[in-house]
Amino acid sequence: MSARTAVLTAVLLILPLVLGASPQRAQAVNANAATINEFVKRVDVYVALHKKLESTLPPLGKQTDPRQIDTHERALAKLIQGARTNAKPGDLFQPDMQRLVRHLLAPVFRGKDGAQIKSEIMDNEYKGSVKLVVNGRYPDEVPISTVPPQVLSELPKLPEELEYRFIRSNMILFDPHAHIIADFIERAFQ
Amino acid sequence: MRSGRPSPAMRAALHAVITFIGLVLVMPASARPQAEVPLPNKPDSLHFAVIGDNGNGEKPQYEIGEQMSDWYTRFEFPIVLMMGDNIYGSDRPQDFVKKFEAPYKALLDKGVKFYASLGNHDSREQRYYKLFNMDGKLYYSFKAPKEDVRFFALESTYPDQDQIKWVEEELKKSGEKWKIAFFHHPLYSSAGTHGSTLKLRAVLEPLFIQYNVSLVLNGHDHTYERIKPQNGIQYFVEGSSGQLRSGDLRKGSPLTAFGNDTERTFMLMEISGDTLTFNTIDRKGKVIDSGTVERRK
Repeated sequence: MSARTAVLTAVLLILPLVLGASPQRAQAVNANAATINEFVKRVDVYVALHKKLESTLPPLGKQTDPRQIDTHERALAKLIQGARTNAKPGDLFQPDMQRLVRHLLAPVFRGKDGAQIKSEIMDNEYKGSVKLVVNGRYPDEVPISTVPPQVLSELPKLPEELEYRFIRSNMILFDPHAHIIADFIERAFQ
Repeated sequence: MRSGRPSPAMRAALHAVITFIGLVLVMPASARPQAEVPLPNKPDSLHFAVIGDNGNGEKPQYEIGEQMSDWYTRFEFPIVLMMGDNIYGSDRPQDFVKKFEAPYKALLDKGVKFYASLGNHDSREQRYYKLFNMDGKLYYSFKAPKEDVRFFALESTYPDQDQIKWVEEELKKSGEKWKIAFFHHPLYSSAGTHGSTLKLRAVLEPLFIQYNVSLVLNGHDHTYERIKPQNGIQYFVEGSSGQLRSGDLRKGSPLTAFGNDTERTFMLMEISGDTLTFNTIDRKGKVIDSGTVERRK
């Protein structure tokens, strides 16, 4: 268990006791803590693999040319795809985590600013259809959604190798170094 | 003997003047002709250009690039700030040539440095592209080569807590007189397609006010708009340096000091002491908007 996971778990376990919550509420919080704990663990495994594979590639300079950027990005994607041949939707976002994400986001989107947040995410610039594929390259023609700070603050923090993004109402875990979709949740919000 | 009645020619001239005044009065502010404020072009002042939503590789982008080079011959600017959407669609190596290096070749050859912020159409890995001068960072700040100015390039598609904390710390420690922020999503915009990014505004604007940011430059909406100062801060949307969404500006918007949604544009700016002078220029080289901004103190 990483230090981050341990701290998060401890906070979520202690919180109901400190706040004097009911046993049922405490149980729900503990279940959420376990779900987040499991998600963070899976993210940590993915990131460890990402880092290990990336370290086998020539390091990318901070001021380089497009050919090296493209070569690095595609080579890393290939290595990750090769190492995760059996990856499938839900490997990182387990069903419990999918339910929890929908549960955490529902009040954000239902709130008084929900419509505004939704319109900022949805954008509607790209009209075509998108097929989500785990390990697949994020489609070049689809703009990357903005993720409002109010949404990010509801979700467990991610290391820099992964980001939460949206394609329409689907949430994706985006690996920006490899430019691939690591996992996704269909219809993360209504 | 002279008659008391005006001659027909005089009556016609008078009629023309009255008609013109009447037209100006009924015209929306965004359409009124502006008295042009020329760039002072002082030898020791800071000159820079602003482009946004430019990287589509199409003819208008190249035409704006040519105008920028033409203006450079009489108004040298060592810096170009990019508001994002630098490379639309595919970003293979050849796309960097077609959508960036070729349209601005003349400027790049003269050693002009482009500083990019990333838009929602940009791959995050553009931060490693040397000609965007991002030094591998999604958000960064840098001191201008002249005058007491610091630029802050933000990444507005993913404003996580780390970035917001960084913005605050960076603004707090900056001792420069001029603090200028630039990023893709506009905090204020009258365009119909996107408009103001309210959720981002709620987080960033208090910091800009608290730490004395004088100027904020954005893109995203494919229009040009000078916003009426908000809480003492001057905002511009420059998102029409390649793309254009004709007719997208909402007429009569209370935010608009001046707007244009019919032409591709870029901006030239000059800071001398406490005053910034700007010119907004179209594809034919015509100045369509100009004015001055005083820094916040």
